Amino acid sequence: MKSVRCFFLLSAGLLLAGNTPARAEWFVDLAAGTRYDSNLTAAQERADIRADIAATLTATGGFFYALSGADGLTLSAGARSELYHRFHGLNETAIDANGVYKHKFGLGYAAPWLSLGIFASHENYTGSIRDSDRLEWRAEVGKRFSEAFDASFGGMYARRYARNGEAVVPGISGKVFDVQGQTAFARAGYAVSEQLQVGARLSIRRGDVVSTTRQNFEIFQASDAIAPDPTFGDDFFAYRLRGTTQTASLFLSWALSERASLNLGYADERTRAYEGLDYRGRVANVTLVYSY
Amino acid sequence: MVPMQFFSFAALVVLFAAGAAAQTIEIAASVKDDKGKPVVDAIVVAVPADGVIRPPSRAREAIIDQINREFEPRVTAVLAGTAVIFPNHDDVRHQVYSFSPAKRFELPLYAGVPSQPIVFDRPGVVVLGCNIHDWMVGYVYVSDSPYFAKTEKDGKALLTDLSPRAYVVRVWHPQLEGTEEATKKNIDASRSRSVEVAWTIKLKPEARIRRAPVADRPGRY
Repeated sequence: MKSVRCFFLLSAGLLLAGNTPARAEWFVDLAAGTRYDSNLTAAQERADIRADIAATLTATGGFFYALSGADGLTLSAGARSELYHRFHGLNETAIDANGVYKHKFGLGYAAPWLSLGIFASHENYTGSIRDSDRLEWRAEVGKRFSEAFDASFGGMYARRYARNGEAVVPGISGKVFDVQGQTAFARAGYAVSEQLQVGARLSIRRGDVVSTTRQNFEIFQASDAIAPDPTFGDDFFAYRLRGTTQTASLFLSWALSERASLNLGYADERTRAYEGLDYRGRVANVTLVYSY
Repeated sequence: MVPMQFFSFAALVVLFAAGAAAQTIEIAASVKDDKGKPVVDAIVVAVPADGVIRPPSRAREAIIDQINREFEPRVTAVLAGTAVIFPNHDDVRHQVYSFSPAKRFELPLYAGVPSQPIVFDRPGVVVLGCNIHDWMVGYVYVSDSPYFAKTEKDGKALLTDLSPRAYVVRVWHPQLEGTEEATKKNIDASRSRSVEVAWTIKLKPEARIRRAPVADRPGRY
């Protein structure tokens, strides 16, 4: 929590005070879209699975500064919002800050690169159980093999600090969304034409997952945090478990201009939370991105 | 008598000069792609068939700007030996480089106008890039002949002030499929003051890193 605040303060200070290096490249990114999630509850049983569609809006502003010909620093801050059609408890507004250092090992677009990033966000939901602060550290290594093809892989550690969560079972935490996890990922992108870019991403995440179901003794035994989750109904409880999630995703991006694109994404997520509890979710989104 | 001799000499000089001027010819080139569309930014080069090239007496200079994080012009043709300046008009810094065998160079991260120009002394194609903005790409066609021109949007280029003789003409474009050698044509410009020559060339799709933003992280994690 303290490190989230420190990062916010540092980013806000740099961005708002205009204390940026000369020749910094300022940018504003706007993204608006819609997102469908087939298993918002991360549940196994059909009766517990809930799906919904949300409208998403993101605005980010920041700057890139070339520290040298090979090193660059990007600092940005933004706000985002998600509004769900059915489950209003998931409606979210958040502010975030992002810092990325990137180093190129050589000259030219084909030079391999390394990026190190930190991301922090302060998230408020209509359902207060999910209110949280988040910190993510990311390291990624990549290379562009041609004008059309590039690939990268990396790792990420994410820590989410829940702000609310009253214990309902003595001795068991009520902060179900107090979670952490490590992710390894690999991605590749290919430009089919001047307009069309396609890509794929594979990731595996180990860490805490939150599954919301009706009262379930088996899951209760395996969980280390429990809280009522009225977002999905009065008889629903959110359970925090250890699990492994494998995600395979595809995206298509159609350039509308050199500043705008229309993006389609699809992700298939399979989670094995503990012996016997496996669940699957599919996420699809359509996003219009404009970068100024 | 002295004034009369002077005027006669002057008249001879004028007549000779006019005659010489009258003896220059021009080549009107036209380049289209295989769909019949005019090709912009194609370089048309004429090389005297006898191989005798008289280089210009003055050193040449050219300018390739960086505007809105792009090279401007995207395609530039220069004579071998030309010094090229790369002024940066953006409010951000660029690092211009080339790995091309015809000219390897690097201008370390800079703003404004670099103190030294880059001399392109070997014929060939030099591909320019910026190490900060990977999508930036530019081309310098370094010609071994002083007779060249770049096509405009209408696909036409005019080569002027050529002496009347036979030439081998060829065309190059960044997206040209096949070799420049394969576009060679022989023309005899010794009898006509203007010669027209046309090409239909096949172009590859442009190989360029995309500049448009991408949202490439679908999914929850």
